[in-house]
Amino acid sequence: MKLRIWIGLLGLGILLGLMTVYRVYTAGFVVYAKTDVLVWTLPLGAYIFFSLTSSGLAFVSSIPIVFGVKRYETIEKRTIFLEFAVLMGSFVCLILHLGSPLKVIYLMLSPNLASPLWWLATLYTIYLVIIVSAFWRIHTARTSKVLGVLVFLIAIATSTTLGWLMGMTDARPTLNASFFTMYFPLTAFISGLAAMLLFSLLTAYFSNREITQEKNALYNELARMLGIAAGLVLILFLWRSIIGGISSTAEGYLAFKHIIGSIPYNIELWLGLFIPSILMLIPSIRVTVWGKVTAGALLLIGMFAGRLEFVLSGVVRPLGQMAEGRPEFVSYMPTISEILVVVFGLSIMLLIYTLGDRFLKLEQVPE
Amino acid sequence: MSRYAMVIDLQRCTGCSSCSISCKNENNVSDGIYWSGKITETSGTFPNVRFHYIPTLCNHCEDAPCVRGCPTRAMHKLDNGITMHNPKKCIGCRYCMINCPYGVIYFNWSNPHEFWRDKRVLIKGGTSSPAEETRKVGGKEIPYYNPEREATLSGIRAKGVVEKCTFCDHRIKKGKLPRCVDACPADARIFGDLDDPKSQINKLIGKFRPFRLKESLGTKPGVFYIRDFSSAAYPRTKGGI
Ligand code: SF4
Ligand code: SF4
Repeated sequence: MKLRIWIGLLGLGILLGLMTVYRVYTAGFVVYAKTDVLVWTLPLGAYIFFSLTSSGLAFVSSIPIVFGVKRYETIEKRTIFLEFAVLMGSFVCLILHLGSPLKVIYLMLSPNLASPLWWLATLYTIYLVIIVSAFWRIHTARTSKVLGVLVFLIAIATSTTLGWLMGMTDARPTLNASFFTMYFPLTAFISGLAAMLLFSLLTAYFSNREITQEKNALYNELARMLGIAAGLVLILFLWRSIIGGISSTAEGYLAFKHIIGSIPYNIELWLGLFIPSILMLIPSIRVTVWGKVTAGALLLIGMFAGRLEFVLSGVVRPLGQMAEGRPEFVSYMPTISEILVVVFGLSIMLLIYTLGDRFLKLEQVPE
Repeated sequence: MSRYAMVIDLQRCTGCSSCSISCKNENNVSDGIYWSGKITETSGTFPNVRFHYIPTLCNHCEDAPCVRGCPTRAMHKLDNGITMHNPKKCIGCRYCMINCPYGVIYFNWSNPHEFWRDKRVLIKGGTSSPAEETRKVGGKEIPYYNPEREATLSGIRAKGVVEKCTFCDHRIKKGKLPRCVDACPADARIFGDLDDPKSQINKLIGKFRPFRLKESLGTKPGVFYIRDFSSAAYPRTKGGI
């Protein structure tokens, strides 16, 4: 019964998403909070959130193979499947961000190897093929050695290329940072850990599955890793702000002032990094299920806001002739259609995961 | 091969916007999109104020970041230095808009020239609808459609792709100057070949001290600005304490 209601809700999300698709392709992108300045908004932020979470899950799923930590094999299959589901969510958001998604064929027919965006598209396609194969190998032959290593390598490549994509834009001082090539894989990793914990624990709870002693110990270990990594990211995050605030150019400083006052920035800082790392570093909270679930959920909400903040930080300040007749900073409020794009991506991802959990024996351990 | 560039003489420019209007006509540019634009600034405090007007367009940068980032080569360089766009290959990712430091690329958020697609009449039996009007005068999508634009680019660009100035490459091919240059009543726009030492633009670049927009970014823009308009005079002074 519970499952039916859940699937019904997801179906509703998908229906609303399909209606949005129809509106976007009939009325046009005017249904988004379009201005010629805000060219990248919530759908792209959501894409980055999902794709980096998927890369982060890839880091987690490759722990037993790449780092030889055998006890993590018990979560490998579920994590790989989650990677796939999250990646599908990201594709939904990306397709609805692109103006002419059907022309992506030109990525193959007319490639530009100097473009990080071309690399990103190519790497994510390869990534998809590899995770599907890796999952299939575990599912059928129950082994995944080579593919597991490839998943790890490609996850590094995708998350760092995303940093290159943003780092290349000299025109936008807030995005012009080699910082992102480091920040993205690290935040991807904590997002992956958080998603893994959250989904495993919630699935066990809702399907009334007992969490074994061994698994519980593993989750606690992951939670500790999450606390430490989120704490490290917090330090990095604060340094980014401090550097922006005290030693950048006048333009960079203005942008910094704008960013630190923004809601997404503060959600990322407090909900996404500060509270989860504190929660996971206090042993008595860490061992509880609610502690882990709260930390995981908050971290993911914070990261989502962070991806949006980061996308917006690059576009809120109009450049050149676009600045004519516009304020120094353009404000942004997502439209219903933009929100529904995210709901669509999330529903697709959750539906895939729910079906996988039901039919694909995600508890299976590779040999 | 030529390397086309433009000099804009700010002393001659009167800020009349003929360039922008003629560009819209020539290239069938939709509402809200400006291949030819402007940057205006007011300096000083009242009563000591001045108004500055800088006409802008795609700079056809030699080292164009929009081209470097485009994943499908939809944005590309022609051998003659023009930064050209091919809407057929454009996936609408808008990365070029992020990369261009000059804000001269626009995205078609909806169907262009929406107004002229309207089939509703204002007064039944009295007026015709915009769509009918277009049909009557034999226009394509808009009554003032310029078919010459189709020679090198879609006559009107579709929803979901970007667009920007092409230095009127279709006119250059026929040996004509870009339309904004032709239309400027003050001859403030001078067009030519940077590789030809005898070209007018090279003479002007050598004679005056030109500046280009955001030169520090290293994009090597192909639009040079010379002089500055000022009719003001002031009595000779050394200031004072
Ligand atoms: S001005 Fe902008 S659009 Fe034109 S070539 Fe330079 S970077 Fe590209
Ligand atoms: S919007 Fe079109 S032209 Fe611009 S980078 Fe993307 S594919 Fe290239």
